[in-house]
Formats: sequence, structure tokens, C-alpha cells
Amino acid sequence: MQLKRVVITGVGAVSPLGGDVPSLIEGVEQGKSAVQHMEGWEQYTGLRSLVGAPAELKDEKSIPRKSRRSMGRMSFFAVQATQQALTDAGLQQKELSSGRVGCVIGSTMGGAESLNDAFETMLPEKDLSQLTSMRFFQCVSHTAAMNVSQYLGLTGYVMATSAACASASQALGVGYDIIRLGKQDVVLCGGAEELHPTVTGSFDVLFATSVNYNDIPHRTPRPFDRERDGLVCGEGSGILVLEEYEHALMRKAKIYAEIAGYHTCGSGAHVSQSNKDAMVFCLREALASAHLSPGEVDYINAHATATMQGDKEEAEAIRDIFGDEVPVSGLKGYIGHTLGASGSLELIVSLAMMEKGLVYPTLNLKTVSPDCEGIHHVMHPLACDIRVMVKNCFAFGGINAALVCKKINHQ
Amino acid sequence: MTTEQEVITLTNQVFEESFEIEKEKLQPQMNIFEDLGLDSLDVVDLVVALQKKFGVKIRDDERVRSIRTLGDIYQFILSLKTEWKS
Repeated sequence: MQLKRVVITGVGAVSPLGGDVPSLIEGVEQGKSAVQHMEGWEQYTGLRSLVGAPAELKDEKSIPRKSRRSMGRMSFFAVQATQQALTDAGLQQKELSSGRVGCVIGSTMGGAESLNDAFETMLPEKDLSQLTSMRFFQCVSHTAAMNVSQYLGLTGYVMATSAACASASQALGVGYDIIRLGKQDVVLCGGAEELHPTVTGSFDVLFATSVNYNDIPHRTPRPFDRERDGLVCGEGSGILVLEEYEHALMRKAKIYAEIAGYHTCGSGAHVSQSNKDAMVFCLREALASAHLSPGEVDYINAHATATMQGDKEEAEAIRDIFGDEVPVSGLKGYIGHTLGASGSLELIVSLAMMEKGLVYPTLNLKTVSPDCEGIHHVMHPLACDIRVMVKNCFAFGGINAALVCKKINHQ
Repeated sequence: MTTEQEVITLTNQVFEESFEIEKEKLQPQMNIFEDLGLDSLDVVDLVVALQKKFGVKIRDDERVRSIRTLGDIYQFILSLKTEWKS
């Protein structure tokens, strides 16, 4: 069976740097940090990390009430990002209900705010009678995919990946496979996440968060840096339109890149400790599926959360495969770790790098940590003809994902 | 003691706040489904909102099922108040 080719034909984003793709790209280009001190988080006993990268929720009232009522914060982000992506791709409304257009949108755990509100309503008196009908729809793990599909009238595949920080990357991988197999023509893929003290708290109890920069938030997270001390949570949504190549050609769509390869795998080793060997395996499999050798890769967008152990393992994995030849940078210094949305938001920025021939540096990387040396860290903007790039995502649960994209030269 | 006018005002507030319905449409003869656009999920939220607004427990009250118009709700709430009084 001849597998189909899959290309990216549209992008949309709501990020800590703004409510659309241009504000995200401009913010990164200008070296802006969206990390800030989170007012009110001091009230949580034991929460040591008081920084975050919030996105602005706006214009949600433009969505009709009956569609809006089932949406929590992350679904608003996802719907808005999806609408932008569809406009960017130039897809018409009538196509969405053809049965050949679907969506796969992941998140770490669904709507954290709605989940918290549901428990706050129910638990004090152990009384369910005040729970509204919409709490379930606002907080389930497929809330973003469900709301996007309902609001847009999608009648194709509707799926939600949930693999923490690899959720969006897995969504892209699933969309890629669905189209390759000829099951769908178009799949709207990505992730969504919301910032909430319970989310940051879940990393904080594991000593994985940044705690030393509460008064100077823009200096953290510090991926690969000697002074790094952990991750900073962010929020938003990034959605990409994945499309079968001939379908895109037929309607003369703008093609950002072709998805050339993908792999995801478990480490089978530890739920929270990153594992270099599993990362190496994942990257090698992704490259093999793209029929590309490490020497053909021009840029690596690292996962690089700025945790002590994660950055070290990732740097070692990259060094093992690519040595110090391939430019590497990470984007979490700009927008924090948007968790289930990070794979797609960061891929969107990486596609902009590919288009501009420019690698954006790792913000806050001032002195490379000795345990992250031996790879080509990009610490200043770097002109680079990116024909092939790799996007890494390595998640809690020992789940790894790597996506390979390449420029397409038909236009 | 809640008067009839207070019941009407508070019930109408629920429709404005929870279902974003314009004040002008809130007339007793209005069918809450056909005229005001509520559906079965909204009825769940209507019950929760009325419970909160009037401090009553009506989730398991069979009479909720027969409500059709806004006027039915006014009368239902007033009947609850009468039952309480007696």
C-alpha cells in the first residue's frame, strides 16, 4: 500500500506572547519573556514556584452561548487557535462536514480550572446537587478536541491524545498517520493547556519547578544553563492543519513543510526521570521513518524544559546522534512550558524559523551547564538554511516523541 | 417572605445571568424551550441556579419535569414557598 504524503498548510496559536501566530513569532524574535510573577499563588501552602506564563483569554463571548457553555479556558484557546489555522489554510466551512476532516487535540489532563471548581463545589459538603451540567464537558481530557469538533461541525475523526508534555506531538503524529493511511484528507492537530496552581503544584511537589526566580521571573526558565533550576508552566494552544499532499496541491494551498517522519515510544524505565537511551531510540526511529540520516538535519528544536535531569539527558541524547554539528535551541525561556500545547506551539515557531532561515536562540541560556555541553547551542540569532528539522518532546511517564519536518520545493 | 414580584424578578435574573436572554423576552407565557431556546442540559443548570437563588432543593422534585413556560416556574417556586409556610 502506497502511503500518502502529509504536509502542513495552516497554523494558529494562542500563546503567552499573544493571541495569534504573528504575536508569538514577533515576541520570540524580539527576545521577550512572557514569564511573570503569579499574583495570589502565595496563598497555597507548599507551593514554592510562584511564576508562570499566562495567556490572555479574550473575545470568548463572540462564541454563541450554546457552544461556549461547554468550553473551559483551554477549549477557548483551542477553538481560537483552530479558527486561525483554518483561515490560514484557506479551508472552507463546507469541507469541515465532509467526513474527511478531523481533529486530534491533546492536553495533559483536560481543564484544570473546571476540574478544580467541580471539586470545590462538591467536596466541602460532599454535595453534588450544585454541580452544573457543563462541568464534565469543560474538564474532561478530550474537552478541547470535543469542543473544537462541535463548534466547527467536524464530522471526521475526533481524538484526544494525553501524554503530558508529549500530548501535542502525539496528536500531530496521530494526524500524520491517519492521513498517511488515507483515512482523512485533513486533520487539525495540536494541543491545549491551561495554567493553574494545581498544574504547577503537581510539578512543584516533584521538585521539578523553578523556585529561585520568583522576584525576577523573566530570567527563568533557563534551558541548558548552569543556573537552571526547573520548569515554568505556561498555557495556550497551538493548532496545525495537516493535509494530504495531493489535496493541498489541488487547492493550491500554502505548504509550510512536509512531515517526513515521526516516532513515539516509552522508556520503560522510570515515570519521571528522563532517559537518554530512550530519547536516542526515539530520535533514531523518527529519522529512519523519514529516510534521513543525522547529517541531513539542519536544526533541532529541543524539548529543553530547564529541569536539571531532563536537559542533561536530552543534551546527551542529541550529542550521541548529532555531535556538535547541528544547531539546537529551545523556546521555553520565552513562553514557559506549555505542557500539552508545547509540541505544537513550538513547532509553529520552528516553522517560522524554517521560513525565515533563522534560528532563534535559547532565551536565558547564558552559560552552558557542563552537563549539557558538546552540542551546538544557539545563544544568539543564527542565520541557517533549515531544510530538515527535528522537534523533540519528552514527557513525564517516560513518553518520548520526535517529529521530523522538511521543506518542500514544489512552489 | 418572598412576594410574587420578587419570585418573578429573581427567576428572570437567572435567565438573564445563566442563559443570556434579553429582559424583554422574559414574559410568563414564553415556552422555555421553543421561545427561550433552552435544552435538556440547560434545564439541569436551571435547577442548580434556582436552588441557589431561592435556597431550595428541587433537583429530585417530579414537578420540574412538567415545567414548560416561564410562568410555570414562577408558580412552582411560589408553591414551594406556600408549602414551606404551611
